[in-house]
Amino acid sequence: MATKAKKAYDVVVIGAGNGGLVAAIRILQAGYSCLLLEKHNLPGGFATSFKRGRFEFEASLHELNDFGSPEEPGDVRKLFRELGVEDKIDWVRIPEAYHLITTDKKYDCVMPFGQQAFIEKMVEYCPESRKSITEFFELCNEVRDAQTYSNSVNGNTDSAYMKKTFPNFVKAGSYSVNEVLDSLKMPQKAKDILNAYWCYLGVDCDRMSFLHYGSMVIRYITRDAWMPKMRSHEISLALDTRIRELGGDIWYQSEAEKILADDNGKIRGVQLTDGKVIETCHIIANCSPHLVFGKMLEKKAVTEQMVRATNSRKFAGRGFSLFLGLNRSAEELGITSHNYFIYDTADTVKQYDLMKKVSTNHVQATVCLNNAYPECSPKGTCMMYFTTMFMSDDWGNVSEEDYFKMKDRVAEDMIRVFERETGCKIRDAIEEICVASPTTYARYCGHPEGVIYGYETAEWDSLMPRMMMMKEDALMNPGLRFAGGYAMRSSGYSSAYISGDLSGRQTVGDLKKEAQGV
Amino acid sequence: MKFKRQLFGFMDMLRFKKMVPTRRKMLAEGPNTPLPQEYRTNVLAKKLHPGYMQVELTAARFVTNTMRELTFKRVDTEEFPFFRAGQYVSIQMKIGDSVVSRPYSIVSTPRQALENKLVLAVENAGFVSGYLNEKAKIGDRFVMTEPSGEFHYETLRDNHHIVCIAGGSGITPFMSMAGSLADGDEPYSMTLFYGARTAAQLAYKAELDALTARCKDLKVVYVLSDEEQAGCEKGFISAELMKKYTDLTDATFFLCGPQAMYDFVDKELAPLNLPKKAMRRDATCCGDLPMEHPGAFKLTVHMRDEVYVLPAKENETLLTSMERAGLNAPNKCRAGGCGFCHSKWLSGSYRVADGRDGRREADRKFGFIHPCVTYPLQDMEIDVPVAY
Repeated sequence: MATKAKKAYDVVVIGAGNGGLVAAIRILQAGYSCLLLEKHNLPGGFATSFKRGRFEFEASLHELNDFGSPEEPGDVRKLFRELGVEDKIDWVRIPEAYHLITTDKKYDCVMPFGQQAFIEKMVEYCPESRKSITEFFELCNEVRDAQTYSNSVNGNTDSAYMKKTFPNFVKAGSYSVNEVLDSLKMPQKAKDILNAYWCYLGVDCDRMSFLHYGSMVIRYITRDAWMPKMRSHEISLALDTRIRELGGDIWYQSEAEKILADDNGKIRGVQLTDGKVIETCHIIANCSPHLVFGKMLEKKAVTEQMVRATNSRKFAGRGFSLFLGLNRSAEELGITSHNYFIYDTADTVKQYDLMKKVSTNHVQATVCLNNAYPECSPKGTCMMYFTTMFMSDDWGNVSEEDYFKMKDRVAEDMIRVFERETGCKIRDAIEEICVASPTTYARYCGHPEGVIYGYETAEWDSLMPRMMMMKEDALMNPGLRFAGGYAMRSSGYSSAYISGDLSGRQTVGDLKKEAQGV
Repeated sequence: MKFKRQLFGFMDMLRFKKMVPTRRKMLAEGPNTPLPQEYRTNVLAKKLHPGYMQVELTAARFVTNTMRELTFKRVDTEEFPFFRAGQYVSIQMKIGDSVVSRPYSIVSTPRQALENKLVLAVENAGFVSGYLNEKAKIGDRFVMTEPSGEFHYETLRDNHHIVCIAGGSGITPFMSMAGSLADGDEPYSMTLFYGARTAAQLAYKAELDALTARCKDLKVVYVLSDEEQAGCEKGFISAELMKKYTDLTDATFFLCGPQAMYDFVDKELAPLNLPKKAMRRDATCCGDLPMEHPGAFKLTVHMRDEVYVLPAKENETLLTSMERAGLNAPNKCRAGGCGFCHSKWLSGSYRVADGRDGRREADRKFGFIHPCVTYPLQDMEIDVPVAY
């Protein structure tokens, strides 16, 4: 047996989720050493796949936004290009934006990608909406440009320049989605159809910042969405491969239990569950501040400020997903869309409220992957996944003995609602089934309460002030930065990748300053 | 366009300016109460999925001449996780210099797990099962993985009626499924065909008769191939025999036994044209390849910051080579399917056991392997996680 020399690392990344993987690459690209620790035996966190019988299921990705085509790349494709992984992955384009169904108002709307196509379709459903929807897109374009500027200066924006160049961005910036749409005098029906994406951010449109929503919608509609052919596991392994190419180390089945600090609170290392200690002065945590400050960081280093700041924040939705491998094709079953949003009500505030309880929640964002990538399962079959969220800790009431039955009950309700709203009968075609509850998400990723969306980006904690405070937030815990769904950019694939990019590059900045003795 | 919400545009601007101070204030004014140490959902996740468990052998008895029943309790906590009847655990031990483990279906019921009781029954058939049959004694401690596996009833997928076919020691998962049904925890009705050579080789006949007596949804048919016995069918578990007892067209089949039994039953049921979903088979361990002069190779294993160089044989899986060398490499199903041994291939060619490549598509593309079903064809180098 030979042992490699024990070494300290410039940076240890805790968690190989989307944020952690990207952060590790950024550290390595700058020439620093990096160890990536992951408690599970696979990279990706939620970005993975699993096999049942003859199906390989996508675990979580519905579509990757802000990706764009090779010729007109979105921010995420550009990021993947810089990371050196774009070409390691085979991509397919998602055919349409979404298929919205609401039980209360009987909406059944299929919306396309492309700004003009989207506007025309909206006018078809709601003839008096042309002016407001056109203005909406104008506003969104300005939002996107302002954010591109903000990113280019790492959040250190010049406020005079902002006011001059992006006046509408600034003026609309403090309002909610519904407040802005009301100001644009958008008819109710158009608002309802436009707000369909809200469940992707998990905050009702009275409390969700317009900037956040608008910047997401514009990215989806103008840059369309893409998927890796081999499920998100392909992205995660491409990132893993890139880390190895750059000389980084990845340890799977290695859970970081403690973050060690010296008497001044300065980070000095990470301790694994088996007691092994790794020395480092810089940590990027791809997990929640609730875990880091509540359990991992040595008590002597936890400040009142950390506790107060963490306690002030609100958990976003807890995840629940149903996966079905069906023994008939999508065509035979009459499943025509790739991506369904099915809501009890078009009123997002009411819907959010219904989602607090397991028993009153019938929302689903449902994907039939074959309608984007027909070869994803064997001929004559198709795969579907249904996702919902609980907006309170109601799932925490489930007892151990009732656990499997509760999973079945919610899954059955998802099937019932899908069949009722689309008329597609899928139940008898179920060849493989798998259900992931908040407990499952807690198991694999360790997130408190099985939360899959990090902290709610609502009201005071919305995206814009988070981005503007990125620098000062990090001052609270020198040597420690966050990536992934709990970080500044909040949840979702694209956001998590971008948070890893930001925290990775910022940590490189910290290391450079340190070397200069600053 | 010119966006404006309030009467004067500058008021909208001012509002924008307040966002940062407001958030700063909210963060500073969060409650100074200790952050939670536990969350209910995470506590449940830990209960259901403890990962590795420390167990102690509390009782043992022979249920046939060659099959020993082993009862365990957990010593790291008070109860086993509630599981799904039909699932397995993998038990790990040190035999000589080797660190070895094997998966066994759980015999006891999920209810019993909550009473800190988990029962396995092990047919004396090889290195590890021989040890468990002949050497393991009361009070011995082992490491056990949490209950796993997809060989269990699914309410939304399966027919209400299930036809279970057991061959020899393949009876074990059905003991749990029948027991759990009798406990009132299962929604199905069950007809079990239990095949063995002779009556003496029927493990658990008395227990099954007792379960049948107290559970109207359970029917058991014993089928002996080599012996005439009152109360037992003589012959093989053919379609014709099964049709005597139950309707085969409106049922989901669960099979557990040797490959020869799977092949026989497949052939028997072929004329019924059952959909794929109606047939569920339990996985079997991947063994050595039959080979007269297997090649000898060098296997280099990276585990975190350690590197080990060990001998490997052409006819043995990479997992077996690592176990032989005493390396603690993760594994559960040993059948290629669960993915728990997922490891990075670095160099050297290999073959995957026939029909057992349970890897994800991207695993193949980026060079990941499941060592439990992978045999070396030359010197190899791999990167493997540490089990615990």
